[in-house]
Amino acid sequence: MIPVTAYLVVSGLLFCIGLYGVLARRNAVLILMSIELMLNAVNINLVAFSRYLAPGEFTGLVFAIFVITVAAAEVGLALAIIIRLYRNKATVNVDEIDLLKW
Amino acid sequence: MEWAWIAVAAPLTAFVLVGLRGKWLPGRGAYVAIAAIGIAFALFWYVGADFLDRGAGHFSMTWFSSGGTRLALGMIIDPLSVFMLGIVSLVALGVQVYSLKYMEHEARFSWYYAAHSLFAASMLGLVLSDNLLLLYVAWELVGLCSYLLIGFWYEKRSAAEAAKKAFITTRIGDVAMLIGILMLFKAAGSFDISTIIAAAEAGTISSGTLTVAALLLFGGAIGKSAQFPLHVWLPDAMEGPTPVSALIHAATMVVAGVYLVARAFPIFAVAPGAMQVIALLGLFTALLAATMALVMTNLKQVLAYSTISHLGFMMLALGSLGYTGGMYHLMTHAFAKALLFLAAGSIAHGTGLTDIKDMGGLWRKMPLTSTLFILGALSLAGVPPFGGFFSKDEVLAAVSHNQGPLVLGLTMVLALLSALYMARLVFVVFLGKSRSDVHAHESPWHMVLPMAVLAYLAVTAGAAAFYLPGTGEGLGHFLFFEEAEEFHPLWWLLIASVLVVGLGFFIAWGIYQRGWALARVFEPVARLARRKYYMDDLYQWSIDHVVLVFSRMVAVFDRVVVNDKGVNGGGILTALLGKRLRYHETGRLYNYGLVMVGAIVVLGVIATLLR
Repeated sequence: MIPVTAYLVVSGLLFCIGLYGVLARRNAVLILMSIELMLNAVNINLVAFSRYLAPGEFTGLVFAIFVITVAAAEVGLALAIIIRLYRNKATVNVDEIDLLKW
Repeated sequence: MEWAWIAVAAPLTAFVLVGLRGKWLPGRGAYVAIAAIGIAFALFWYVGADFLDRGAGHFSMTWFSSGGTRLALGMIIDPLSVFMLGIVSLVALGVQVYSLKYMEHEARFSWYYAAHSLFAASMLGLVLSDNLLLLYVAWELVGLCSYLLIGFWYEKRSAAEAAKKAFITTRIGDVAMLIGILMLFKAAGSFDISTIIAAAEAGTISSGTLTVAALLLFGGAIGKSAQFPLHVWLPDAMEGPTPVSALIHAATMVVAGVYLVARAFPIFAVAPGAMQVIALLGLFTALLAATMALVMTNLKQVLAYSTISHLGFMMLALGSLGYTGGMYHLMTHAFAKALLFLAAGSIAHGTGLTDIKDMGGLWRKMPLTSTLFILGALSLAGVPPFGGFFSKDEVLAAVSHNQGPLVLGLTMVLALLSALYMARLVFVVFLGKSRSDVHAHESPWHMVLPMAVLAYLAVTAGAAAFYLPGTGEGLGHFLFFEEAEEFHPLWWLLIASVLVVGLGFFIAWGIYQRGWALARVFEPVARLARRKYYMDDLYQWSIDHVVLVFSRMVAVFDRVVVNDKGVNGGGILTALLGKRLRYHETGRLYNYGLVMVGAIVVLGVIATLLR
C-alpha cells in the first residue's frame, strides 16, 4: 500500500510549483493557472487524509468538492477581471498594472 | 386654565404656517397671524376668568430627565402671568391689526407677520413658563425676534447695524443671566421657579450665593430692559418698522426684564442688597434717559429714551418693594407707549416726517392721531386723572416708604423731566405753527382703531387701582407681594406730584411756546445728552481699541500657532511620513507574494521551534 507520505510529497511538490509560478510569472493568466495548481495540491491533501484517517466518511471529499467549486468561481471572476484589464491596458503583464502605486 | 399653552402654540403655529406658506394664505398670512394672536387674547379672558374662579394653577410635564434631573415643560397661572398674558396679547393684537395698512406695501409682508407671531409666541411663553430654563429659551427667542424685526429692512445699513447692536448688547446681559440661572440650579437642584423661591426663603441657599445669583439674573434684565449700561441698543431699535418699535417698547422685549424681576421677586427680596442695587440702578437709568429724551429731535428717539426712563422707573419701583406699583406702571406704560409709537407711525405714514423740528401744527392736519397721541402723552407724563398718574403715584408711595428722602427727591426730579419731555412733544409737534408744508392725511381705520383702543386703556387704566373688573377690588388685591395693598394715596405726595407735573408743563409751555431762553442755561448738559453722554462713542472706542486689538492678537495666535503648527503641522507630518513609506509599496504583485510567503515560512519556523 502506498504510504500517505507519498501523497503528501506529491502535494507538496505541486504546491511549490504553483507557488513558484505565482511569484515568478508576470503573465496574469499564468499566475491564475499557478494558483489553480496550489489549490489542487490542497485537494490532493484533503482526499489523501480523508482516505487514510477516516475511510468511509465523506468529510474530506466534501471539502475537496467545495474547493473545486470555489476555485471555479474564482477563475471565472479572475478571468473576467483579466479580460477587462486587457481591454483597458492591452496587456496582462502584472508589472505594468500599477496604476494605484507610485 | 389647562389650555393656556394654546396661547403660545397658536402664534407659534402661525409662525410656521405664515413663514413657510405666507403668500398663499388669506391676507398674505396676516389674517392667520392675527387670528392666532386673537386666540391668545381670547384665552387670556378664559384663563383669567378661570383663575378668578379656581385660583392659581401650576401645570407641568416632563420634557426629559437625565440622571435624576428632571427638566420640565410647565406653565404657571398666577396673577402675574395672567396679567402679563393680557397685556402682551392685547398689544400684539393691536399692533398686528395696525400693521395691516402700515406694512401693506412691504415685499416681505408675510415674513413680517411670521416674525411677529414668533415674537408674540416667545413672549407669551416667557410669561407662562414655570421654570427658569424654559424662561431662558423664550428669553433668547425674544432676543432673536427683536433681531429679525429691528433688522426687517436689512437692506438699510443702519437697520442691519441696529439689529446686530440690539442682539449683541442684550446677549451680554443674557450670559450673566444664564450663569445666574445655573448657579440657582446648582444651589436649589431645580430650574422650577417655585422650588428655587422656596429654597431661597428657607435659607438653604447661602446668602452670598443668593445675592450673586440674583444680581446675575438682574444682569439679564439689564440687557433686555435696557438699563444702564446696556441701554444703548434701545434707541437704535427704532430702525425697525414703527409698529415693531411699539411692540418691543411696550409689551414684549423690554418688559421681559421687569417681568423677570417681578417673577423672581422673592429671590431678590431675600438676597441682601439686591433690591437696593435694582432700585438705584433703575433710578440712575431713568434720570439719564430722561435727560436724553429732552434733547433728542427724532420723534421715535424721544419715545425710545422715554421708554428707557420708564423702565428704570419700574425697576426703581420693584427695587423699593413696590411690586404692585411696578407692575401697575408696566401696564399703564405699555398701553400709553404702544399708543405713542403707533401714533408716531401714523404721523410718519401721514406726513412722512420723523424729526420733530419739521413738525408743528399737526393738530389741524391729523386731528385724530393728534388727539390720541396727546392722550397717551398725558397719561405717560402722569397728568391726573389718566392712567399713568395713578401708577406713578403707587410707585412714589412705595419709594417714600422704603427709600430715603434723597431718592424720593430724585424721583420727583424724574417726574418733572418726564412731564417736561412729553409736554415738549405735545407743544412742538401738535401745537404752534407748521414748520414744513407737507401734505398730511389721516390714517385709515386699521391704524386708528388699535390706537383708539389703546388710548381708551391708557386713559382709564387709573381705575384699575380702585376696581379691577372681575375681581371687584383694586389691582393691589390681585397682584401683590406678601400682602394685599389698598390704593393708599399719600395726600402730600399726590399734591406734590401734581405740582411737579404742572411745573413740567409750565416750563415746556414757556420754552417751546413763548421761547424762553431757559434751554441756553442748560446748554453744556444738553450737549452732553445730545451725544448720549458719549456712551456710544465709549463703546465704539472700546470695541475698536480693546476688543478688536485683542481679537487681532487672537487671530495671529490662531494663524501662527493653531493653524500653522497645529493643523498644518499634523498634515505636513503625515505627508512626510507617507513620502518615506510609499517606497515600500512597490505595486509589484510578486513582491507582495514573496513577503506573504516569507512571513508564512518565518511564522512556521517559529511555530515549529516553539513547540
